[in-house]
Amino acid sequence: MSENNEKSLKAQQVIDLLGEKLNRQIVGSLVGCVHCGMCTEACHYVLANPGDVTYAPAYKADRIRKIFKRHYDWTGRVLPRWVGAGTVNSEADLEELKDIVFGKCTNCRRCTINCPMGVDYAVFNRMARGLLVSVGIMPEGVAVVSKDQWEIGNQMGVLKEDYLDTLEWMEEELQEELEDPTVKIPVDEPDCEVVYSINPREVKYDPRSIADAAKIFHVAGESWTMPSEGWDMTNFGLFSGDDALGGSVAQRLYESVEELRGRKLVISECGHGFRSTRCEGPNWAKQDVPFEMESSVNTMLRYIKEGRIKVDKTRNPEPVTFHDSCNNARSCGLFEEPRELLNLVCMDFREMYPNRAENYCCTGGGGAMSMSEYTPRRLKSGAVKAKQLEEAGAAYVVTSCHNCVDGLSDVIRHYKLPMKVTQLVHLVANALVIEKKVAVPVEIPVEVPVPVELVPVPVGAEAEALPLAGRRILVADDEEDQLEFLATVLEDHGATIFRATTGDEVLEMARREKPDVLTLDLHMPGRDVGEVFELIRKDPELEDLKICIITGKPELRRLIYERSVRPPEGYVDKPVDEDRLLLNVRKVLEVVHQEA
Amino acid sequence: MYEISPFLHFAAHTLQEVALGFMALVYITRIIWLVRFKAPKERQAATGLPGTTMSKGVIYSWANIAMPWAMESTRTKPLFYAQFVVFHLGVTAAIALSFIIPYAPGWLEGPGVVLLLRVIIGAAFLVGVLRIVRRFRNPYVRAISSPDDHFSLWLLTVWFFFAFFAVPNSTAGGEWHLLTYFILTAFFLVYVPFSKISHYLYYPFTRYYLGRTMGHRGVFPMVRGKAHG
Repeated sequence: MSENNEKSLKAQQVIDLLGEKLNRQIVGSLVGCVHCGMCTEACHYVLANPGDVTYAPAYKADRIRKIFKRHYDWTGRVLPRWVGAGTVNSEADLEELKDIVFGKCTNCRRCTINCPMGVDYAVFNRMARGLLVSVGIMPEGVAVVSKDQWEIGNQMGVLKEDYLDTLEWMEEELQEELEDPTVKIPVDEPDCEVVYSINPREVKYDPRSIADAAKIFHVAGESWTMPSEGWDMTNFGLFSGDDALGGSVAQRLYESVEELRGRKLVISECGHGFRSTRCEGPNWAKQDVPFEMESSVNTMLRYIKEGRIKVDKTRNPEPVTFHDSCNNARSCGLFEEPRELLNLVCMDFREMYPNRAENYCCTGGGGAMSMSEYTPRRLKSGAVKAKQLEEAGAAYVVTSCHNCVDGLSDVIRHYKLPMKVTQLVHLVANALVIEKKVAVPVEIPVEVPVPVELVPVPVGAEAEALPLAGRRILVADDEEDQLEFLATVLEDHGATIFRATTGDEVLEMARREKPDVLTLDLHMPGRDVGEVFELIRKDPELEDLKICIITGKPELRRLIYERSVRPPEGYVDKPVDEDRLLLNVRKVLEVVHQEA
Repeated sequence: MYEISPFLHFAAHTLQEVALGFMALVYITRIIWLVRFKAPKERQAATGLPGTTMSKGVIYSWANIAMPWAMESTRTKPLFYAQFVVFHLGVTAAIALSFIIPYAPGWLEGPGVVLLLRVIIGAAFLVGVLRIVRRFRNPYVRAISSPDDHFSLWLLTVWFFFAFFAVPNSTAGGEWHLLTYFILTAFFLVYVPFSKISHYLYYPFTRYYLGRTMGHRGVFPMVRGKAHG
């Protein structure tokens, strides 16, 4: 029997598709490795797992390289064992490859810049991800997120009405904050100078960043708008290696700018979004983009330099350090502008080492945050980042990337570091000098949405009222630490808390205590959580109960969203921090208020 | 001049010419194979600092090998980088020797040239031994080593050994060292295109494309923050 006849269909498809994906750059990288091992210590996975050779970049690269050698390089055809050529025969082989290309590499490209031969491992690791995705072999989180981006148009499955509601909500907050009812977050305004695109994470977890950006645009007197469709600048095609998805998502965004006749696309702070939209998108979409694109970091810096906004750095007195996103710095050359901006808006900016293109990954790159099965590995590899952060000795780590915000938050929590994460937009907004004083409300009506202080820079003032006073919240989670954290945060803000650790308890307590909100973990012992969710939704006595999913397993979302009942009012991915939890719970409560 | 046997003459001339011709043929085939793959196209507008361009990126990328400070991997291991330099100077010297002996033996009459070549090749031999030890002892390097990696390293190290003795171009003690050196050189020339030793053929390609991309995106030439302290 020939070797080909022994192969599974998927294995053969991967081999065939590999031939179609090869280009001169990739082939150069596949044949160029001399196995010198110089890349080994460039990888944060290696440094955090000393002695485990399977994390070494050259070792990982060889799992892909051997297939190329066996099937496309004649040295491997003639002398396969001699040159380390090999093949894949079964789905088990492909699963093993999946574990390496998705679970042991964040495509951070740090090994690339440390390779004397110029082997760009990250490029062909991404290619290998794409090969596996094309035959349906990928982590479930990757499948879920890709599906959302294909079908709904953004990677977090944010519905259009939720997106527009959030913009409206932030507009109201901004009007209240600036005491100016004319302040707008314009949507679908044609012929503007700037079309502003964001990460769906901002809608779900960090809407304050939208309000802060809007505040900056408003004060700068910018002619700007946000599209109602095609507004997601993130692109899971970068992580999944699916060029078709990458091209489609990028094109959707480009088309929205063209439809609005915008002159410039400004991309909010997001490493992979910036790289996908600004750098890779035109290549994937195979089209030249007729308008200018820039990161909001450049925009904010330009406003200050042109005198369109004024900033007062004394409002950000705490020591801050900067984490370079791999995609921004190592793949797009964006590293001096954020530093220049930080020096303008902060009193005490200090570097972490190494930095710029040599910085270490936050551990959340390459889509790692959506692959919960690899979380323990990711957190272990975070030891390198944790050491870097600790040595920087800052109170805040600033980053221009939403993935990095989550990755760094995880590292900080896991390694118990005394610091917080923030983004430049928050610092610039906080330092903004505007004629009208920004007031923090003292008395806050419970039903009215209030601005949450998301900027983790002390300004010496706190809201006096407890925003969740009078609210009854059932917190359901089987992890003791997590349960305690969620309950404590909510209790500290005035809520009355009930706790449940199994599916049965959730149902029982929901019926008995009639809470206003249920925060629901998707993975708990006892009765299936999806079933519990459906039973609650179908119980007429619990009609008013609002549910906020809090999960570390995004792949389990189907347990909830595929049911023919009303979807939950809120959704939060773990890890969740205090600000994000409060923001989401209060948003859920706002739904209660609006419907009441 | 001294008399040499017809066999040594054959090994130093005809055998080398045939082996060189074979190597050139395989190399040309290899380059044609490589350029038949489509070239990647970069549609994005340039990013990064003003003044970074594709061409600057390519030049920086090609020159990278001569800039040990440019990469953390070489910057933090100066001794390893020095080994790399010595090893590759040794290869250059040993190859040059295979042309000098048959075509310009007069160059070896000066003791200074002989000494210089012996120092370079002898040092390269020692580095070869160190690298063999490293390839066995370092678990990361051992795990990625193919039979070709081991064999290529042994081949070069043994070749250095005989080149060291061949440098004076003397048959006073017999022809064995010269014969072995030339036969090994011919084998080396024939074997190289099939092995990792041909990496220098790929270096311009991989480095060109990496430099082109990174230059266009403003990453190359690299800007580095100050080191600790």
